[in-house]
Amino acid sequence: MGAMPSAGNAASPAYSASVEPYAFVPRVFAAQQALPKAIQAEQRLIEAIAAQEGGLSRRHKDRLFWTVASVWGHDCRRVTGPDTSCDETRNDSALVAFAQKLARYALLVSKHDVEALKRAGFDDREILEAVQTIALGQMLCTLANALCPDDERQPASEMASAPFSLAANVEYTETPGPYLQTKAVTGYPIYPLFRQQFGFVPNIFVDQMLRPDVVEAEAEVLQQILIGEDRLSRIQKENILLAISAANANTYFVAVHGQILTVLGVPAEDSDQVVQGEYPPIMPAADVALLKEIRKLALPAAASPGKFDSGELQAQGLTQLQIVEAATMAALTNFLNTLQFGLGAVPDFPPHRIFTPKDLHRSAAPSRLTVHESQSEDADTPYVARVQNGDTDAFEELVRRHSRRVFSTLAGILGGVDDARDATQEVFLKVFEHIGNFQGRSKFSTWLISIAINTGTDLLRQRKPYEPLDEIADDEGFRPKQIQSWTENPEQLLAASERNDLVREAVLRLPPKYRVAVLLRDINQLSTEEAAAALGVSIPALKARLLRGRLMLRESLAPHFIRTENRSFNAQLR
Amino acid sequence: MLSCVEFLAEFGDYLDGAAGPELRAKLEAHLNECKACQVIVDSTRKTIRIVTDSDSFTLPADTVEPIVTDVMGRIRQKKL
Repeated sequence: MGAMPSAGNAASPAYSASVEPYAFVPRVFAAQQALPKAIQAEQRLIEAIAAQEGGLSRRHKDRLFWTVASVWGHDCRRVTGPDTSCDETRNDSALVAFAQKLARYALLVSKHDVEALKRAGFDDREILEAVQTIALGQMLCTLANALCPDDERQPASEMASAPFSLAANVEYTETPGPYLQTKAVTGYPIYPLFRQQFGFVPNIFVDQMLRPDVVEAEAEVLQQILIGEDRLSRIQKENILLAISAANANTYFVAVHGQILTVLGVPAEDSDQVVQGEYPPIMPAADVALLKEIRKLALPAAASPGKFDSGELQAQGLTQLQIVEAATMAALTNFLNTLQFGLGAVPDFPPHRIFTPKDLHRSAAPSRLTVHESQSEDADTPYVARVQNGDTDAFEELVRRHSRRVFSTLAGILGGVDDARDATQEVFLKVFEHIGNFQGRSKFSTWLISIAINTGTDLLRQRKPYEPLDEIADDEGFRPKQIQSWTENPEQLLAASERNDLVREAVLRLPPKYRVAVLLRDINQLSTEEAAAALGVSIPALKARLLRGRLMLRESLAPHFIRTENRSFNAQLR
Repeated sequence: MLSCVEFLAEFGDYLDGAAGPELRAKLEAHLNECKACQVIVDSTRKTIRIVTDSDSFTLPADTVEPIVTDVMGRIRQKKL
């Protein structure tokens, strides 16, 4: 899209100064000139987050803005002044490291990152302000990407330009939120507005009540950009929020706004399709084109295909103003998603879908599904029904969809690639033969995996007749022996191929009972409920097997990853 | 206060972020006092991360279509 026409001094110089590293801000506001209420709300948000002095210093905020802009490769300038030159204090380093991770690898941020900031001397209010500042930076950079694409860019930082990989120098540990102390405030004047608009006060705002003035500014932004109807309808905007949150792998906003869309009358199946990047057949072509294109404005970690191009949308009949409004909505979504990733806000509704880092870099990998989803719509049902009605060709799609998962299950049980490939074919032939008996009591994939497990186990029994899958009595009394600290980033010690070999050997050494639990949960990414159903065991039994398998794997891998300087230290269990 | 054995029997849900508040509080109280269990939790999390991110059992991308072709070929042959 070409740069939008200038609106003169749409931006107040005072607000621009608050986000000084971002030279593009006045041009962003100029491009949004047809949305004066949105500009006003954005300016109020900038005022609350960037201009108000309270906890975090202005110097720190400038560094955060600069860090975010470098991740995006944006036109930014390092702010100079008496406090900023060559001031690499410990606090600054911790803050910059946090900003890089939240801006670049938002999904990987955990409570441990927040605790690292606390250890560096930042209190809860300052950390909250850091998260809000980084989120604001993400929002402004999104707007610049969409509305000022012709601006000169600086090369993105090394971290930003690196392909997304969990092997990068970033930690990922799933930790429960919220990460900061929340201030229980009841009857706060802004709460009725949330209740009126959403029917509840979302946790994402409750978790920010150490800065109620910022929450008020956020409410205003929501009111003007999301709720107020302009060129796009509320449902179109909610769909943008849903599509980008899914691209960002944000479990919270997919759960909450999927629910809000249901309340607005959109069938849950339609929203699920938007989350998957597949669109309901009744959705107008222009809306589908809009959602496909707008996903390209997701956060830097998302595997967004290509650069946002408004020309594609104009070709579908969308007006320039609709496109600007959609880009503004995308920017707001990135703001909200970043807040959630940084604060660890817990979903207000049970999520249909829980995203993991694999959703960002391996589109073929399914995310962990919760019980609710596994019991609801099964995307395979139409194909299964067609096969059951004699349409052999429909089976081809089922083979294509599930061959990876069946193969990895069998490779994990049998070991050899050739054996697993042959067995994969056998499994699909069996499934085709017996598909008439499948009554849909479980998901098709669960039934399929249970057949794969049985087939693999039968083949294993032919080799090792005395090693049954489910009869290892030694459940009690397993005590870890390797109790030495591991190095901080164990992945970096070995090349990917060496790690793969190591994991493969360690998994194959596990007794089958524990091996299959690890394969289903940690390698195939099934939910606990799906894995238990595929194995035909109770959830507590599956959990016990999984934990035991993980602990045994830890024992096998430990000698490769123990900190060398600590080899002499060995903590004792009590 | 939990013993280490009790902790190790209970911390599976904690690893998955699925422990309820009461269990989490009990586990964290033990963790605050026990270096050995801190080491085990940290290294088990790293184990899960390494295993989850590995491609040890991944079907090579160029193998999917040959499998589809073979399976469908055998099914169609049987039907004829």
